[in-house]
Amino acid sequence: MNRKTLAALGLAIGLAMPAAAEEITVGLMLPFSGVYAALGNDIEAGFALGLETFGDRTDATFTIIREDTEASPPVALGKARKLIMQDRADVLTGIVSSAVLGAVRDIVHSSGVPLIVANAGNDEATGEACSPFITRMSFSNGQVNRPMGRWMAEQGIGKVFTLAPDYAAGRQMIGAFADSFTEAGGEIVGQAFTPFGKTQDFGPYLAEARASGADAVYVFYAGGEAVSFVRQYDSFGMKDALPLYGSGFLTSALYVDAQGEAAQDVVTALHYVPTIDNPENDAFVAAFREKTGRVPSEYAVHGYDAARALVEASATGAADRAALADALRQVSFEGPRGALSIDPATNNIVQPIYVYRTIAGETGMTQEVLAQTPAEADPVNGCDMAPLIN
Amino acid sequence: MPDPGFWTLQALNALQLSMLLFLLSIGLTVIFGLMHFVNLAHGSLYAVGAYVAASAAAVGGYWAGFFLAPVAVAGLGILLYSGLIRRMRRSGPMAQVLVTFGLIFALLDLSRLIWGDLALSIELPALLAGRTALLGIEYPTYRLFIIGLGLAIIAALAFVLGRTQIGAMIRAGVDNDAMAACLGINVERLFFIVFCVGCALAGLAGAVAAPLLSVTPDMGLQILIPTLIVIVIGGLGSLKGAVAGSLIYGFVQTFGAVLAPQLASVLIYALLAAVLVIKPVGLFPAKG
Amino acid sequence: MFRHTPLRYGTLALLAALALFKAVTADYFGLEILTEILILAILVIALDMVAGFGGMVSLCHGALMGVGAFAYALLTVKAGLTPPLALAAAIGITGGAAWIIGAICARSHGIYFIMATLAFGQMAYSYVFQTPTFGGDDGLGGIARLDLTAFGIDLNDSRTFALFCLAALAASYCAIVGILRSGLGRSLTGIMHNEQRMRALGLTVWRVKADVFGLSGMIAGLAGALAAQHMMFISPGLLSWKVSGEALVVVILGGLGTLVGPIVGAAAFVLLKHEVSALTSYWHLVVGVILIAVVMSRANGIFGWIETRWTARKATRRTGPADAPLKEARTDA
Repeated sequence: MNRKTLAALGLAIGLAMPAAAEEITVGLMLPFSGVYAALGNDIEAGFALGLETFGDRTDATFTIIREDTEASPPVALGKARKLIMQDRADVLTGIVSSAVLGAVRDIVHSSGVPLIVANAGNDEATGEACSPFITRMSFSNGQVNRPMGRWMAEQGIGKVFTLAPDYAAGRQMIGAFADSFTEAGGEIVGQAFTPFGKTQDFGPYLAEARASGADAVYVFYAGGEAVSFVRQYDSFGMKDALPLYGSGFLTSALYVDAQGEAAQDVVTALHYVPTIDNPENDAFVAAFREKTGRVPSEYAVHGYDAARALVEASATGAADRAALADALRQVSFEGPRGALSIDPATNNIVQPIYVYRTIAGETGMTQEVLAQTPAEADPVNGCDMAPLIN
Repeated sequence: MPDPGFWTLQALNALQLSMLLFLLSIGLTVIFGLMHFVNLAHGSLYAVGAYVAASAAAVGGYWAGFFLAPVAVAGLGILLYSGLIRRMRRSGPMAQVLVTFGLIFALLDLSRLIWGDLALSIELPALLAGRTALLGIEYPTYRLFIIGLGLAIIAALAFVLGRTQIGAMIRAGVDNDAMAACLGINVERLFFIVFCVGCALAGLAGAVAAPLLSVTPDMGLQILIPTLIVIVIGGLGSLKGAVAGSLIYGFVQTFGAVLAPQLASVLIYALLAAVLVIKPVGLFPAKG
Repeated sequence: MFRHTPLRYGTLALLAALALFKAVTADYFGLEILTEILILAILVIALDMVAGFGGMVSLCHGALMGVGAFAYALLTVKAGLTPPLALAAAIGITGGAAWIIGAICARSHGIYFIMATLAFGQMAYSYVFQTPTFGGDDGLGGIARLDLTAFGIDLNDSRTFALFCLAALAASYCAIVGILRSGLGRSLTGIMHNEQRMRALGLTVWRVKADVFGLSGMIAGLAGALAAQHMMFISPGLLSWKVSGEALVVVILGGLGTLVGPIVGAAAFVLLKHEVSALTSYWHLVVGVILIAVVMSRANGIFGWIETRWTARKATRRTGPADAPLKEARTDA
């Protein structure tokens, strides 16, 4: 969907409303080219669907300005400055890469433009670098992985080998898991971090994992690396002796079909899977399927919920930057992921985490939810948040 | 310390990576040696091969992709050769860098337009799925297949280049193309054949890599630098150089990842720099 | 040897006038783009100095720019140096690094030189990417610009900063012309044309190459320090080979060995990228096709094409096109 259609959509919603409605300019910053393009497209599809579904709850109309961040921090920073200084955007949303979020954080904070984060999960953004203007509707790296440490220890798994790409998000995801796993009595017998974006053959690391004497392997990979990793893990026949666990991005609904049967029985944890059983999710999956022909992924739900948060915030009557930022911090609703709210101490989302097993379904791979861990707020992590204005 | 099986496994991993790189680098190095043409888009042809294989495999199974991809990429090679490269032959390396850079850009987005941004993959046939017991370990059959295929192609190329008339013509062309032309060799046709075979091998490499790795739009860019490192370490234009370069890259990369993970990504570049300082034209260049 | 022709002077004057006009009239985003062009132009004329006049086609100039950017950022943010001192240090550090690379790679030629420089660039990239002190994948923020308020100049204003970058480009251009006209520059061009002969004449070839490469590195370092100040944020992506590759493409697109051409190339490339990427996320395709078209026109880039036309019109008065040797020299570079 391009800018014109989105604008037309905003217009259509606007026409149905009484005149004199507020007009809110939204800067949608997503990677539409580069390695994360598939994620950007899914988030955008979710965002458009969210506006379409919930748009009539507010009198405001939304003008969307779409910018391609290319998942490159300097490019994204340039685009963010343009949206803020020139287009006078009232609110920004999107951001897939954590590095991009780190890059735009200062300009967002200093110019006081609310930003709804629709993917990037770096812990600092809602920790030491938190801002009253940055509200995260997606997840944080620690939040997704922490429950899995406890859950795996409860299942009687004693020794684990971990693997992840060697960059900030990889280290944070694995770090959060390792902390909670060792706290619950487990032992990390070995760790390997693979060069990020340059590793295509995981064979050497898999042999290392096998020789480590672990009971299980816990990994974080996403996108193309996740597809390669899961397939190679299966081809070495390691799943029987050394079951594969991980952060749920490993077997995301977005690309699990490319992994095929290699993903069978991999157990991971995530804040959203398409098979969560609640009426909001049923409606979301059906509507998303109808629009795109695909099952929505966690990325799609980030966009969907970001749009809904924006609508809910503007429905309170907020229309300028400061008021919107304030309203966004108080958003809470029942969505496809269950009950969501924003932690006033950090502005991070508070949401349940689902442990799920990937299994073969009627049309490709699907997810069987094994457990739902209760929603809990992240530790404050050095965030010193300004209190709410109202 | 891990058992001997661990090292056997890693050696096979290294060999498998080497063979995959060999399939790509041999085409690139011979094209360069013969035509003095820097085809930076060679990696993009590999990506196209992987995509064609993935599409064909979705319809007709693995072998359909395996055989169709080299043919399709060779076809693309014919188009590129007659449309662009024949005219570029005398333009000098800088123009070639620019035009093949343009091709990288164009092919990248064309693959995105045709096949989308999502990763694709190929299911293996029953024959190649599973594992084979070998040297006291279990190793994925498909990886053994890649090693076997690579060795077979090395043998075939060694035979063609060393023992046949066309091989002699190619060697003569690499050595001195003007002289070869004076001796009555149709150099232009030779270039065409070599270019197409090089493209077909790149397509084959793509088809072979597709079940192992994920097929993504940027896989061509990812493989470009390793391939260039292989041919530069080995020395341009020679089969021996491509074999040596591939083996060095495969083993340094694999064992580097195991023995010195902190240095893994720097190691191969340090080696490249070292080779070029000691032997500025690589280990086994076709021309002294 | 580099020579100014009336056409080159004219183009420079036109470019300067356009840049000044834009710097005064452009809106916020226009200024951002202008600054981006100016910084890229500094980098590519540094690259043209070694590639176009010394045959040293470097695939590490992006990494050198990155070294300059990281040196400036680390020295101001982490070591607490004042910006002017950090700027000087960044230029010096990058120049030193470039001198070493130039000295080591001096014996390699053609594709081997390209690959050797690539190897050093990638080593720097991997090192910066993996080192937490450098911010790793997340990069470094909060970088301060030079404080020239003592002279009544506020660089935090984007219009002033664009003018400052324009001045830096002008200074870099003059420096490069000076270097190329000096004995060192003449020796360099001599080496590009016939290295054996220059060696036979008693020249220490590797020293000349390393010295010029080092000087080019200093200018790339300046571009890096300016880029860090412009974005006030840097990430390791700046050092990746793709930036070096793009810089090389810009040089060739503009016209290798013309010094004026790469500036034209920088403007064309940045504008093209911004215009096309605003229309479609498939901008690589459009830019790729345009690159191919430029090459197929058989000219030495955009500016080379203009120069060939220009000299062809004046060819009646001469025996042969005066600037043609530049183009031929390219083929054995």
